[in-house]
Amino acid sequence: MNANNRSFVLACLTLTSTAFGQAQPAEPPAPGAPREFRLPQPTKIELGNGMRATLVEYGSLPKVTVQLVVRSGELNAGEQTWLAQLTGELMQEGTQQHGASEVADLAAALGGQVSVTVNLDTTTISGDVLAENAPQLIALIGEIARTPALPESEAERVRGDLLRALTVAKSQAQAQAREAFARHVYGASHPYGRPYPSEEQLASYSAEDARVFHDANFGAQRSHLYVAGKFDAAAVKGAIDSVFGDWQSGPAILVDVPQTVATRAVVLLDRPGAPQSTVILGLVVVDPSNRDYVPLQVMNSLLGGSFGSRITANIRENKGYTYSPRSELNNNYKVATWAELADVTSEHTADSLAEIVAEISRLKAEPPPAEELQGIKNYMSGVFVLGNSDRGSIISVLRYADLHGLADDYLNTYLQRVAAVTPEEVSRLAAEYLPTDTLTLVVVGDLKTVKPQLAGLDWISESDLN
Amino acid sequence: MLRYVNLGLAVFGLAVLCTGCNRDDGEPVTATDVAAGSAAAYTIPVEYHKLDNGLKVVISEDHTAPIAVVGVYYNIGFRIEPQDRTGFAHLFEHMMFQGSEKLGKMEFIQLVQRNGGTLNGSTRFDFTNYFEVVPANTLETMLWAEADRMRGLAITQENLVNQQGVVGNEVKVNVLNRPYGGWPWLWMPQHANENWYNSHNFYGELAHIEAATLDDVKKFFTTYYAPNNAALAIVGDVNPQEAMRWVEQYFGDIPAAAMPPRPDLTEPRQEQEKTAVHEDPRANRPALAFAYHMPERGSPEYYAMGLIDQILLQGDDAWLQQKLARDKGYTADVGGGINDLGNMFNYNGPMLWTASLIHDPTVVREDIMKSVDEVIDRLRNEPVDQATLDRAVVKMRSGLYDIVSDFYGFGRADLLAALALFDDDPARINSLEAQFRVVTPELLQATAREYLRPTARTVLTLEPTGERSEP
Repeated sequence: MNANNRSFVLACLTLTSTAFGQAQPAEPPAPGAPREFRLPQPTKIELGNGMRATLVEYGSLPKVTVQLVVRSGELNAGEQTWLAQLTGELMQEGTQQHGASEVADLAAALGGQVSVTVNLDTTTISGDVLAENAPQLIALIGEIARTPALPESEAERVRGDLLRALTVAKSQAQAQAREAFARHVYGASHPYGRPYPSEEQLASYSAEDARVFHDANFGAQRSHLYVAGKFDAAAVKGAIDSVFGDWQSGPAILVDVPQTVATRAVVLLDRPGAPQSTVILGLVVVDPSNRDYVPLQVMNSLLGGSFGSRITANIRENKGYTYSPRSELNNNYKVATWAELADVTSEHTADSLAEIVAEISRLKAEPPPAEELQGIKNYMSGVFVLGNSDRGSIISVLRYADLHGLADDYLNTYLQRVAAVTPEEVSRLAAEYLPTDTLTLVVVGDLKTVKPQLAGLDWISESDLN
Repeated sequence: MLRYVNLGLAVFGLAVLCTGCNRDDGEPVTATDVAAGSAAAYTIPVEYHKLDNGLKVVISEDHTAPIAVVGVYYNIGFRIEPQDRTGFAHLFEHMMFQGSEKLGKMEFIQLVQRNGGTLNGSTRFDFTNYFEVVPANTLETMLWAEADRMRGLAITQENLVNQQGVVGNEVKVNVLNRPYGGWPWLWMPQHANENWYNSHNFYGELAHIEAATLDDVKKFFTTYYAPNNAALAIVGDVNPQEAMRWVEQYFGDIPAAAMPPRPDLTEPRQEQEKTAVHEDPRANRPALAFAYHMPERGSPEYYAMGLIDQILLQGDDAWLQQKLARDKGYTADVGGGINDLGNMFNYNGPMLWTASLIHDPTVVREDIMKSVDEVIDRLRNEPVDQATLDRAVVKMRSGLYDIVSDFYGFGRADLLAALALFDDDPARINSLEAQFRVVTPELLQATAREYLRPTARTVLTLEPTGERSEP
């Protein structure tokens, strides 16, 4: 699928075709000849102040998506967990030029709204509007990024909203489990290991704190603007120059990679009366810049990361223990984890865990059949095409490559690297990266039901349960 | 980052599409803002055919990327499922992945995946859909597979029991073990509507789900899963003639079935405000939702209501957001819209316009409703100014584009299938926007006066009742 100057074709299965023209052949008709797929062609720009921009003209639908990604997230807030979040919320309360309602009206007239989202590594100011309005949207995003009002008058309300959001988030079993898992693998001293603040801590932040944070962390060097969809390229380039050309370079990107924990833990959190146990079983693996990462993605899809995967087929389609099990590779800058996540019937918590571990062990013990692996590789190739066939997805893919500093040929060679994975390699990766004795287990569930079950698992010791 | 498209079957409460549709019809634009005036025309190609057995077929070419969407929509949703089997329409949807004549359990899923595609199914008020998003060169394979399961199922007792377990777990993960699970999309229709078909628990009582038998499965399939009760939408990098040839080949000889009469789905005009309380032991902040009944689908008032939704609720500039979130600080965001499980086009019966918010226990609910009344009374007491109306139309048009491009063309297939199934006229996709453009401030006000009456409203509150529910 695709590349800048070359085009690839989709890897396809050869299926036997039966006589064409029969009413209903007994076997699925074979696919037609694979179609050519070209990767969208990005235009990359760098301004004198270090700001970068990537433009992708894509599709015929008259809409455009613009995202300004600033490498300023909770990582940069350090011990002040969610100060980046508070800053992001306050950035939506108007600019030095326009009040909050005016900003909302301006964005609505362009056919959308501007939102600010904050995660561990970045703050993203984004909008999605009618095609002809791209330059105006870029101007509005620039205004919010560079000159937010961060009004003291709105701080109390915004803090209240965040306190409510925090409380509601932490009432979710899945959020509790993810927090416990992150805390163990990344350590509570690193922002990656501390996804939530205490209520007292959050309540202590002021608009002044947000202003200090904004001043210290926003600037051209840390910023990358993505534009994808239909737009007038000359007008967009002109807007980028005029809106961001005189932005101060600001601070360099902060690199602060956590010391990850390689030892296992068993974390049990009580949720009395819960009809399901929310489980995470996982560990730290290599990050996206490692050459094993794409092969690990293949292994993950086969093991638990797709509907047809082994763990899903087992605990859902065979046993009926759960509805939406999945394994995933989850990454931040220079770190990643692999984990299986599932909400399973309380009574079958240990049964589910035993099956998950059995599937991991089976993959280590024997390479998957070539046909099964080929099917997964085809699936991943198809998903890659989809991921490059929609303006929002295109930006996601580019952001991923940029965040992790992946080489320019990353996208061009992705499919080849997927295709090159062998059954033996999948088995080797499982053995190397998923050692059973270092898997961390988190269970959020009704512990009086769950604990006696766990005692029956041979990889759980008595001390794990105390 | 690259992700796989992880799809459980029938993620009921998720994947809510937005609102809207498309195309500038070239009429003079009165909007004061530049956005409304300069848009290029955008027309969606629509080919519509009907097979002899009654199957409706819509094909829409889009050669942007070498992908195709196949969506099979059956004209049977949870609204009219059997009264002693709540949740059955949805349980049945899961059975459609458990084996057909030529594809055993898991084989359908594997066939799609190994051809580089992704798939899902979902159950809604008035339809159940099954769809694949695939490399375009595998279109014929997908049509063959969908035809196979329209032709007949091969379900075992073991597979039924398995999926009863899966669906039970789905209800647990989405509702029973989830704070605000089912809020308000599952609960509100049960309080706001009077007619059983519109007001039952459509996710299903666990006892009903567990009571289902193989005979129920067979009967439901025989009754509703026939070509004359279905629409097939094909979108993407396809050749319509070739696609039609395959459709004829694989679906053409599936026999039609006699359809049972449609039950009476009508709701009485609501004359008194209703209130109800939902207790949630897992939630830790109270919540409030209110709903009004939609005008009849397709009427002038219905299109006016679409714009009212834009003015009151959708986007940061909307009046309820400004009032309840920004001015009063009751909440961070007011959620909702027309049809919590879809958009304003893909249903066919009584429907609600719903808004909801989570707030702090220190906030008095009467104060929230007083603010709601102030906002809505403004709409009822005076015509909106042209700029507000223009902005609503711009947002609607932008939203329509979002619908038709949602999930790699699935959204377009969904809208075309709905318009084929419910209106027998998928080409309407290109005239929807014009219907909104003719809404006048006077029609909008008249619509608000009738449909946003306080006496036509249901107010549902959520009470956190668990141990950790205190602030």
